[in-house]
Amino acid sequence: MGLLARSASFVRYAVEGDLPANFWEFAAERIALHSFRDIDESYEERSVGWVSVVNMFDSEFAYASYAAADHVVLSLRMDERRVSPKVLSKFCLKEEERLKKVRQIPKLARAHRVEIKESVRLMLMKKAAPTPAVYDLCWNLAESTLLFFSTNQKAQELLEEFFKQTFDLSLMLQVPYLTAEHLLDAPGREALADITPTIFI
Amino acid sequence: MDLLDIIEEKRFLGQEFLTWLWFKSEERGGTIFLPEAGEDIQLVFEKHMMLEYGEGENREKLICRGQMTELQEARTGLAMGKKLEQARILLTRGEYEWTLSLKATLMEFRNVKPPKTMGSSEEGNEPEAVEGRLLEHLSLHEMVVRTVDQLFRMFLDLRIGSGWEQELTRIQAWVRKGKETH
Repeated sequence: MGLLARSASFVRYAVEGDLPANFWEFAAERIALHSFRDIDESYEERSVGWVSVVNMFDSEFAYASYAAADHVVLSLRMDERRVSPKVLSKFCLKEEERLKKVRQIPKLARAHRVEIKESVRLMLMKKAAPTPAVYDLCWNLAESTLLFFSTNQKAQELLEEFFKQTFDLSLMLQVPYLTAEHLLDAPGREALADITPTIFI
Repeated sequence: MDLLDIIEEKRFLGQEFLTWLWFKSEERGGTIFLPEAGEDIQLVFEKHMMLEYGEGENREKLICRGQMTELQEARTGLAMGKKLEQARILLTRGEYEWTLSLKATLMEFRNVKPPKTMGSSEEGNEPEAVEGRLLEHLSLHEMVVRTVDQLFRMFLDLRIGSGWEQELTRIQAWVRKGKETH
């Protein structure tokens, strides 16, 4: 459902803030600094970074540049190790049962069970393969707008946070009212603020 | 006002726009003149819609779909005061044709199928071919967004201008006609 797919879903953002004069140098430095780092061979829980829209394994943009005319085209990739709540619960119970048997006690203290849960979670997390998620974006520099190819709210929150972290610029989701403010002049915006819902029947 | 308040309080704006767009597309048999671009475009509502009724937790949804229907339920829903929240649209501008679902509250563009162009058949993984494909997709997506913006601008000019009363009378007559027909 991304930029290059036959069918795409997206929302629009306004990019707020001024671009630095030497933008492409700035972008190259920031994108390199925040490019995706693989965690397949480590035990890290989560990794977020930029990759090429053409290839999710290309975080050095060797294969295709992120610059396309006056657009920045990137994919936001997040790999995350997840443990399903059912699996976690099963292994916690298993460990609790084992300990009760070894110590010959009927019940474990709450604090101890919390400790068990955390250590089991860490053990399972290390075994879990990171699940990838990739979301495309294209940033129109001339118009300070950005299309983000996901309608998922969590993905949008991740983008807003990571974009700010990378470029020191804020994103504002363009819901109809905000789009309208951009399309209208000052008197139009004043009139817009006063309108109330219409009844069509 | 923060974004969540804007979404909730101004929810009606996107829904009114989509409802108006449905009316506008039927007014001239699928043709709409875009004043900003000085050209006609074709815009047809396909048989897949979602309407909403009520506020907050009491919000009800009505989904209408079917290949050979005349959207009877949707037209009745409109006449009962429900608002159009999502619609599948076939949009033709010049030689290009898109299908897309427009979701009103957040102005989401969903399942946008861009036009097939000459360039689409050009496969290949050379950097030039890849960049060509990227730019083509980009410009087609931006073109559909720009077209929706031009339609939205047309709606806004009417909505905040003196012509709204007259337009509203026409929309209300169209809603009533839909109810009588079905």
